[in-house]
Amino acid sequence: MDLFRRFALGEIDAFETLVRQFQGDVYAWIVRIVRDPGIAEDLTVETLWRIYRARHQFRPDGNFAAWARRIATNLALDHLRRKRPEQSLLTEPACAPPPDHLRQQETRAKIQQAFRRLSAKLQVAATLALVEERPYAEIADALGTSVGAVKLRVFRAVRILRKQLNHLGVRP
Amino acid sequence: MTEHDDHQIRKALQQSFPPVNTELRRDLWPVVLRKLDTRPARVPWYDWALIGLSASVFLFFPQLILVFAYHL
Repeated sequence: MDLFRRFALGEIDAFETLVRQFQGDVYAWIVRIVRDPGIAEDLTVETLWRIYRARHQFRPDGNFAAWARRIATNLALDHLRRKRPEQSLLTEPACAPPPDHLRQQETRAKIQQAFRRLSAKLQVAATLALVEERPYAEIADALGTSVGAVKLRVFRAVRILRKQLNHLGVRP
Repeated sequence: MTEHDDHQIRKALQQSFPPVNTELRRDLWPVVLRKLDTRPARVPWYDWALIGLSASVFLFFPQLILVFAYHL
């Protein structure tokens, strides 16, 4: 009997083999979204646990990696939703303009803060598409939506970011 | 919004979010196994009693569902 069928039947040895085979991929996907290795490890464990609990829903002829990625994405989304956005956007300093490298650092901080204020769904789509440059089809599959919907989310994220950054006087 | 705008934002984001290391630092199987071994949280009997009581009330007095929904 093949590995996926044994896993679906609840064989722990089969699950162990799958964990060792796919834990790296699941972790890599999650850390790209949450960008924190510690949190990504916790969410990977949670994802693998949920995978085992949901083994009856898995079709042995299906794509295990894609199924795992979808569960991982949902958990990462929940994490971003729970995480409170940072208090407020930085305001323009009243004192003399800082040197170039400080100004760059400040600009990056403002961009990060503006980004973290986007909704979790927009953050995930924009991180994967714009920062990580993953293919739209892969993102759509992980989010359980269409390529068109992902493109729309990325478009909305860019529009909101541009508006917020203009408001802050940041020119990317 | 132009493609140039899109490109600028993409570049700014990539500079603001430096690449992350996607290599897993340790084997997570022992942690997963420990988690699988822990018993799932049990719902205490009085919670089931409360659910049963609420269901009976709504069954005999369905108009209360609207009152309940209003106060949610």
